[in-house]
Amino acid sequence: MTEAETSSPPKLSIRGLSKSFRKGEQTIEALRDLSVDIRKGEFVGIVGASGCGKTTMLRLIDGLTEPTSGTVLVDGKPLERPGEQLAFVFQQDGLLPWRTVMANTMFGPELQGQNKAQSISTAQRFLRLVGLTQFPRHFPHELSGGMRQRVNLARALTVGADILLMDEPFAALDAQTREIMQAELLRIWTDTRKTVLLVTHQIEEAVFLSDRVLVFTTRPGRLKDEVVIDLPRPRDLSIKRTTAFTRYTDYIWRAIEEEVRRSIDAELEQA
Amino acid sequence: MSKVESHSLGAKLKGSGPRWALPRLRPALWQGLASFVVAAILWEFLARVVVDNPLFFTSLTDIAIRGVELWKSGELQTHIWVSFIEFAGGYFLAAIFGILGGICMAASKTARGFFDPWVSMLYATPILALGPLFILWMGIGVASKIAVIFLVSVFPILINTLVGLTTTDRILLDVARSLGATPQQIYMKVRMPAALPYIIAGLRLSVARALVGVVVAELFGARAGLGFLILMSAQSFDTAAMFVGVIALAVAGVGSVAALKWVEEKMAPWRFENVDD
Ligand SMILES: Nc1ncnc2c1ncn2[C@@H]1O[C@H](COP(=O)(O)OP(=O)(O)OP(=O)(O)O)[C@@H](O)[C@H]1O
Ligand SMILES: [Mg+2]
Repeated sequence: MTEAETSSPPKLSIRGLSKSFRKGEQTIEALRDLSVDIRKGEFVGIVGASGCGKTTMLRLIDGLTEPTSGTVLVDGKPLERPGEQLAFVFQQDGLLPWRTVMANTMFGPELQGQNKAQSISTAQRFLRLVGLTQFPRHFPHELSGGMRQRVNLARALTVGADILLMDEPFAALDAQTREIMQAELLRIWTDTRKTVLLVTHQIEEAVFLSDRVLVFTTRPGRLKDEVVIDLPRPRDLSIKRTTAFTRYTDYIWRAIEEEVRRSIDAELEQA
Repeated sequence: MSKVESHSLGAKLKGSGPRWALPRLRPALWQGLASFVVAAILWEFLARVVVDNPLFFTSLTDIAIRGVELWKSGELQTHIWVSFIEFAGGYFLAAIFGILGGICMAASKTARGFFDPWVSMLYATPILALGPLFILWMGIGVASKIAVIFLVSVFPILINTLVGLTTTDRILLDVARSLGATPQQIYMKVRMPAALPYIIAGLRLSVARALVGVVVAELFGARAGLGFLILMSAQSFDTAAMFVGVIALAVAGVGSVAALKWVEEKMAPWRFENVDD
């Protein structure tokens, strides 16, 4: 992994990122001194116990939340404002309920000041990419969870950002739909060559998709381990049955188990 | 700020079939009609057989006859017109000031802090009781009625606008920001559309209050109007004419509330989706 990094500056560079939330008297330290570099075109999975600061990290990177300290550099430069270089796929689909599938997908281009014809063609392109062309006039409440998540993904892609931040995008889906979406995501990633940060609770998903998996400690979130997934690409679902694959998932599971136990114990103590 | 008013947003109604397809009557509508017919028969029976005294209770047919008489003499139209002018004037002003006031209070914390106590207080005050005062100040003409109707109906609209604009789903705001929206864009393309169903619900809640306002304000002193008709008929023991006024008001109330519900459902269909037929 290290040899690839030295040649060009990292696409995304996180330096000493920390975040504490104040809640009345209490201060919750969500993230502590996180530093990590991510190559252009790299697919990075992020796993860790619930509440360890994964969402917080993505929000900090996207500029939706101000860090307590630390910096985020994109192509070696600090981020000016959200929208241009980074796209965020939220866990909840966050579709505007009063807009159709097409109008939701056009939202990004529209905000960027593209005219209507441009916006429509951009939206159409990405709806095709995520395989959702039949329902442009449907409203979100008329779609299944999987379809909504596809629109969510298409909308994020329209911005044309090089970096895709994904927060448990498939968590709400059933197992079959999730597997299909994983395969779709790999295909899209191969087509578009984006840099992807994907937070997930599913170790299997992380290993299947990623070049590298970051394992977080319990709160405050720090980097506990990083695992380079040296599996051949292109990957398809059959790879999940190979021993190499299960060795990775077992390894990450052991790394995380201790942390999960600790977070459960901490919760029980509080209760 | 009280959120009570906006809770009735969840009011259950739902049409089956395509939204724009006109009257293939739905089961609910049939049931409604049937219950009306039963009520009408009961009413007629009660008036003709049980009570049998037109002073206390008048049969529907007598009311209809009286209604036609009043219509032919042109009297009924005058009353309807005067009441309509009062209602429309007060309600229109309430809609404008309610929505603008809600927008201002949503936009500025200072404005909110400054006006919130007043809004809460006036909203809870039975303003109708001040009707005589308004008549003293502004005379028995239309102006005093408009003032009363304005005051009783402005606050639900204002409060709903404020609540609608300030309780936007956080995820929607995050999405817009993440897509690079400017604060103005977030306001126009997220907060405003999200608040629209609340605003319409506020308008709907205010219709009923405004209609009560029309009647009560006219009872305190007027020269014409449906409330005036009701008062005058009651004082001259013309019970049939009194019912004509009451029924005219009821029709106006049911009609305008239904129209606003329809608009609400049209504009925010996702709010009404999970309700069973
Ligand atoms: N806006 C906020 N205000 C106060 N505390 C917050 C806020 N956002 C997050 N936190 C706290 O920060 C910690 C990390 O939260 P975060 O959402 O980043 O966890 P996570 O790793 O994404 O968890 P999960 O896997 O359950 O989604 C939690 O303890 C949470 O309570
Ligand atoms: Mg999270």
